[in-house]
This record gives sequence, structure tokens and C-alpha cells, in this order.
Amino acid sequence: MEENSGFRKELVSRLLHLHFRDCKTKGLGHQWGGEYVGHREGGCPMTPPPSPFPPVSGDALQLMAEFLRIFVLEAAVRGVWQAQAEDLDVVEVDQLEKVLPQLLLDF
Amino acid sequence: MCLQMLEPRVTPTLPRAVARGRARDRKEALRALTLGAARRRGSAGKSEPTVPRRPGLSAVMEEVEAEEPQEFSHRQPLRTLVSPQRLKAAVHYTVGCLCQEVTLDKQVNFSKQTIAAISEVTFRQCENFAKDLEMFARHAKRSTVTTEDVKLLARRNNSLLKYITEKNEEIAQLNLKRKAKKKRKPEDESRSSRESMAEELDGAEELQSES
Repeated sequence: MEENSGFRKELVSRLLHLHFRDCKTKGLGHQWGGEYVGHREGGCPMTPPPSPFPPVSGDALQLMAEFLRIFVLEAAVRGVWQAQAEDLDVVEVDQLEKVLPQLLLDF
Repeated sequence: MCLQMLEPRVTPTLPRAVARGRARDRKEALRALTLGAARRRGSAGKSEPTVPRRPGLSAVMEEVEAEEPQEFSHRQPLRTLVSPQRLKAAVHYTVGCLCQEVTLDKQVNFSKQTIAAISEVTFRQCENFAKDLEMFARHAKRSTVTTEDVKLLARRNNSLLKYITEKNEEIAQLNLKRKAKKKRKPEDESRSSRESMAEELDGAEELQSES
């Protein structure tokens, strides 16, 4: 469908759920019903792996993938603009640092 | 899903390269992994339900599963172990692909450190996005994160909000079309079978009338 590469839905889903779990372990679990507690990075679990919670709808995942793709493209293109304004051929970290504040405010 | 089924990993240098954070090593190691992953997948014969067959994430996941044995027992359900480093590597690969497209478009190169920096920023912003999405869904008293939450996430910049809203409508229309196709398909099949039967009957009647 798109000629550009983008973020895959599986990757976006895992990225989001990585940080959903962090919220729950910081004590917000009771608001979601407290079904899922704690990280599962080690040890042998006795219970079957829980389904990712809260679930993200398929459309929202696609939209998030697009959102992240735009984020990366904006960062890259603004870096290019900064480098062109400074008459450079290569975008270095210095140029990225200059565009980063406005990028983070826009997103 | 036992670890013993997997062949030993092809490039042992990936985790060290990732830990060192050298972008070039990581990229080359990931590319080398794609060949190894394809070979391993064929021989191991694992079936993973929804993992897409693209180099970046699946290669990283294969590497994850191949190098766990030293730390955990062999009966561990590995699909649930996704540590941040592997996700970072997968993000880095995707960011590299996107930056390559920008390079082709604008004729300006990106240094390796820049690509690494962009992927680091993306990864860290994801944490904020995820927390915001969860809060929005909770505020709306929903248990699912929907497209409305994502649109609220894009509120800071007007053109971004406009773009995301348009994309959302595109996606919604695509889904409608797909649903319509699915509904039409079984109807078409029954209709076509009825038509073919009718043709056969007509043909039989003609033959009978001729004879």
C-alpha cells in the first residue's frame, strides 16, 4: 500500500505495551482492576502469559505506526533543513540538537 | 516451544554491539541476522502466530530466543520476554530505513550518530506516548485504546492533527471496503454456484429440445 517503509504493527504494539506495564507497577494497577502486576523479565512464571492489557485497537495501532513514522521523518527532514541552512552535506548530531526542542514541542 | 529446537546463533557479536551502541555494528549485525534467521526459521519449523516475516523485528526476536539459554531455564515461554534492548534495535533498524529514504529524496547524508540519536529519541518519546494513551483511555472510561486517543495525542501541532485525522479516515474507509468485500464474497459464491447450475439446466433443456 505504501511505497515508504514504516513501523510494523507488531513493533508498535510491543513498544506501547512495554510502557503500559511500567505504569501498572507504579501503583496504578488498581484502577485497571489489578489483574496484571509486575514485570515478567525473569524467573519461571507459574501462570500462563497474560494477554496484553490494556488492549490497543487495530486501527489505533495503524495510526500510531503512522504517527511514529511521521515523527522520525520530521526529525530527519528538519535535520536536513538545518544542515542545508548551514551549508553542510552531512546531518550531524549538532544539527539534530538544534531542531530537537521544536520537534518535541510539536509532538 | 523448546530452545533445543533452535540452532546455535550465527553472529554472537550482536548483543555486544547493541550494548556498545555502535550504530554501524548493530546495522550490519542485524543484516547478517536476517540470513541466519531465514535459515533457522526453515529448519526449526516453529509457528509464530502474528510475527511478520520482515528482517528487522523477526531477526531481532530470533536473536533474543537464541541467546536466552545462558540466563533462563529451557522451558521458558520466550515470546513474552521482550527486553528494551531488542526493541531499541528493532526501532533503530526502522529508523535507518526511513533515514535512507530521506537521503535518497534530499541528497543529504545522515551520520551514524544521527540515526542512533533519532532512534533513541523515538524510543524515549514512545514511553510518553504510551502513558498518555493509557491516561486518555482511562479518562474516557474505556478499557481499549482507540483512534480517538491517538488523535488527542497529535493535538499539539495543527498540521499534524490534520494529517492524522485524514489518515484515520483513510484507514476507516479501507476497513469498510474490506468488510464490504467480505460480505460480498460469500454472496457471490452462492450466486455463481446458482448461476452455473441454472446454465447446466438450460443446456440440458436445449439438448432435450434439439433431440
